[in-house]
Amino acid sequence: MSYIVYIIIQILTMVLIAPLVNGIIIKVKAFSQKRTGPPILQMYFDLYKLIRKSTVVSDVSSWVYKAAPYEVFSTALAAALLVPVSTMITPPDSIPGDFIILVSIFALGRFFMMAAGLDTGSTFGGMGSSREAMISSLAEPSILVCLFTAGLISGSTSLDRMMVFMQGAGTPLIHPVAILLLLALLSIIMMETARIPVDDPSTHLELTMIHEAMLLEYSGRHLALMEYGAAIKQLVFMTLLLNLLIPHDQFIAMAGVGAVLLSLLIYLLKVILLAVLIALIEINTVKFRLFSIPNLAALSFILSFLAFLQYFLLGGSYV
Amino acid sequence: MSSLFDTLSVMILLSSFVLMANKRIKSYIKTFRIQSMLIALAAGILGIQSVMEEGRIDVLVICFIIVVLKVIYIPKLMNKTYSSVEYKVEKDFIWNIPALVLACCALVVFTYFSISTIDGINEGFNNIQIVNSVSVILIGLFFMISRKKAIGQIIGFLVLENGIFITAMFSTNGMPFIVDMGIFIDMLTAVMIMGVMVFQISDKFDTINIDKLNKLKG
Amino acid sequence: MGFLLLAIPLIAVLLFSLMKKRLFLHAVSITASGLIMMIAVRITKDVIDYGKVEYAHYGGFFYLDSLSIIVLDIIFLIGFFVAVYSVQYLEEDVRRGKLDFKKVRLYYILMHLFLFTMILALTVKNMGIMWIAIEATTLASAFLVGFYNDRYALEAAWKYIIICSVGIAVAMLGIIFLHLSSIGVLESTELLSWTALMENAKGLKTGTARLAFIFILVGFGTKAGLAPMHTWLPDAHSQAPAPISALLSGVLLNSAMYGIIRMAAVVNKNLGSSIYTGRLLIAMGMLSIVTAAVFILTQKDYKRLLAYSSIEHMGVIAVAMGFFTPLSILGGLLHMINHSLTKSMLFLCSGSVLQKYETKHIFKTKGVLKLLPLSGTAFLLGLFAIAGTPPFSVFVSEFGIMMSIFEAGSYLIGAALAILFVIIFAGIAIALFRIFYGGNEVSGLEPGENNIPGALIILTLIVIIGVTGLRMPESIIGLIYEAQSIISGV
Repeated sequence: MSYIVYIIIQILTMVLIAPLVNGIIIKVKAFSQKRTGPPILQMYFDLYKLIRKSTVVSDVSSWVYKAAPYEVFSTALAAALLVPVSTMITPPDSIPGDFIILVSIFALGRFFMMAAGLDTGSTFGGMGSSREAMISSLAEPSILVCLFTAGLISGSTSLDRMMVFMQGAGTPLIHPVAILLLLALLSIIMMETARIPVDDPSTHLELTMIHEAMLLEYSGRHLALMEYGAAIKQLVFMTLLLNLLIPHDQFIAMAGVGAVLLSLLIYLLKVILLAVLIALIEINTVKFRLFSIPNLAALSFILSFLAFLQYFLLGGSYV
Repeated sequence: MSSLFDTLSVMILLSSFVLMANKRIKSYIKTFRIQSMLIALAAGILGIQSVMEEGRIDVLVICFIIVVLKVIYIPKLMNKTYSSVEYKVEKDFIWNIPALVLACCALVVFTYFSISTIDGINEGFNNIQIVNSVSVILIGLFFMISRKKAIGQIIGFLVLENGIFITAMFSTNGMPFIVDMGIFIDMLTAVMIMGVMVFQISDKFDTINIDKLNKLKG
Repeated sequence: MGFLLLAIPLIAVLLFSLMKKRLFLHAVSITASGLIMMIAVRITKDVIDYGKVEYAHYGGFFYLDSLSIIVLDIIFLIGFFVAVYSVQYLEEDVRRGKLDFKKVRLYYILMHLFLFTMILALTVKNMGIMWIAIEATTLASAFLVGFYNDRYALEAAWKYIIICSVGIAVAMLGIIFLHLSSIGVLESTELLSWTALMENAKGLKTGTARLAFIFILVGFGTKAGLAPMHTWLPDAHSQAPAPISALLSGVLLNSAMYGIIRMAAVVNKNLGSSIYTGRLLIAMGMLSIVTAAVFILTQKDYKRLLAYSSIEHMGVIAVAMGFFTPLSILGGLLHMINHSLTKSMLFLCSGSVLQKYETKHIFKTKGVLKLLPLSGTAFLLGLFAIAGTPPFSVFVSEFGIMMSIFEAGSYLIGAALAILFVIIFAGIAIALFRIFYGGNEVSGLEPGENNIPGALIILTLIVIIGVTGLRMPESIIGLIYEAQSIISGV
């Protein structure tokens, strides 16, 4: 496939599916509490509503406040380009950019979000920014070691090459390195996308907020862009986990447009299942105290480091 | 089949890390129980394998004893001891938890480098299983050092014994039967004696904080 | 008949649980140890005549050669003496209200179980069963160490059981590695059997065998009181009741050392030279002696002083075994015997002193010679003996070991050892002056021995160590020569 087709399909898929994930998670949580909950497509309606509203901008803020939503959204889209939803649509030579660029792009977006939280001068924004700084600095080593291990296994740092290799390795999830990577990536998703046990996304108590505190002052289309950016970031992480460790493309024997559609459909199914799993984890845990989060981050780092180590113990082979 | 044992050894190592990252005494006992179940699973699979290949049932008997002792009886004993002392959560350690967990990482790396320099140890079985098992031993020992409550020390000793047992299982397909039986009886008696002593310490000292046991010096 | 050695303590334990009066408890205890002594004489004669005693029943696990019988005889002798001493010691404690009948019965049951496990450790040739027995000695003696159930005793008992259990678990790892190194070399009926290991020693895998030796040295070294794993020893030996301290110091440390010696013999035969094990043993031994020297200089508790002296002497034995020349091994084995007899006598004396003065502090026990003529004199002479004074037996073995070190060419170690012996002598002499001089301030204590049978035992022991210092019986020397050749593997 050529570059243009890849970019179009990739962006469309990510942009369309991202709000669905949030809707599924909220729905499952509502079911567990014996409520009906909002409809699954609620986030689409919310985003549409927000875009049409006007924005209120504080007059003590600078250009950072106005630039941040666009920055967050564009970095999320750029990251979305690096993680293919299906290896059938990738161009023949690999996508320029590897996992280090991916992590750096997220860091850029996060920096702007933190700066914007500080920019308005409100206390809650600054508090959210400092907490976000602490958590992300603890989570980054973990994700770097994780992706580094995956790169070591597949002999390349480009993400779609990694996915192609994992399909070819053909090993079920029973491999020790795969299990450890799965657990590590799951805990990283919890930390990076601000889910329980790290941060409750539905809280309205400002003192317990981390991610929400930085968005507290935004309204209108700025808020829509920030929320959308966060949702796309969440979907990118989920795609990373799903396509690296539970690849599906090797089972599709056909070629052509039908194969691409089938691949995207299976991908959608996997995303829905992972969303349900995340919701189940959220239901069964409680939010940790802020100073217990380093414990969780340490455990996540351990998981990825152990995956790295076990790969060497197995003699550097992944069969 | 050996990849199944690899995965099991990794899971057992992971459970000892989870043990290290815990603060509540009840979770220590629960995590120990899970680890013992994993070990019983490994012993059971080895036992079935040895029955089919060589017709020896001693490994299966040992698996059964592990289930009875380490999964059922000893956690029950520990829970009884735990409910009679008033400390439910540990508040201080020698370092904070992330530092302890990172130190355990360093122990695993250290084990890997030490074991790989010994010639003659790699014939016949996998490197990964023995490195993981010896790491569990070291982590159990480190757990004993890092906890200041007496029940933590008993759990650390039990994890140490688990590690030794799993090393024997993976590397030699089980020690001679009489030696394994002796190990179990010794370990059971040791844990019972330690349990009784924790009662007595809690009685005499009004605390099970080991730091307070410091009168005999010099 | 060898099985009677194992059966008698068990039968005694059974009888103890049935008795209802203290008198019967004492009687059963003394009878049992006396019977064991008599059987021991017979079996020693068998070993001297035939070289070893082996029965084929129960899979051939029973095995005695000269090395085992030396250490075993010490156990039997000291066990008998301790049993006789305990009678009056316990009666005195009951009279003062510190113990009741149940406690006395517990004491006897645990003591005989303790003796049983040690006898078991020494009469088997399967290293795995030996390990089980040595672990069982920890368990049997844990409650003996915490016998008096006050804060100090409980702390000592907790330290004892935790440190020794961890040590023994490490030794288990060593036995696993030993098993690993012998796979394919031994047949399945002879796994972990010491005699088979010695025969096929050249065929063991070297790397794993060396690893096994390190773990067993650290593991059994914890039980034997080698530094830096010695930290439980001063507490446990000073808080236990005096006869039990005599057993712990005189007998248990030997049994752990025996395990190390057996393992070293196998590994040395496998490697062909004793440099590897020698370096480790000498390093740990010297570290133990240095630690003991430093702490002896500043001791204020006479039982802890004796405990540190045990650490020192175990270090000396380790150094002797490290050098592995025929003369040094002979010196080491002789030192085992001499140290056990002297140290047990010292602990029994300290028990009498403790019962009279009710304090362990050196500054508070003054004028011992006036209040306890027999035990006091024995204590004085014994302290000189343990520091290495002629004509007592410890001097002979220490001298022999020093000679072997100089013969082997390590002048540095020999000189360091000499200096350390001097420092330890100074430390013990300082403590001596404090205990035995003065005496005008002590009031309210009546002079005279409380424990007449105990005093007689102490007298016997001091005569033994005096006489053997001048001349050892021929048969015993013959046994030691036999044992030395077994260890050297020729």
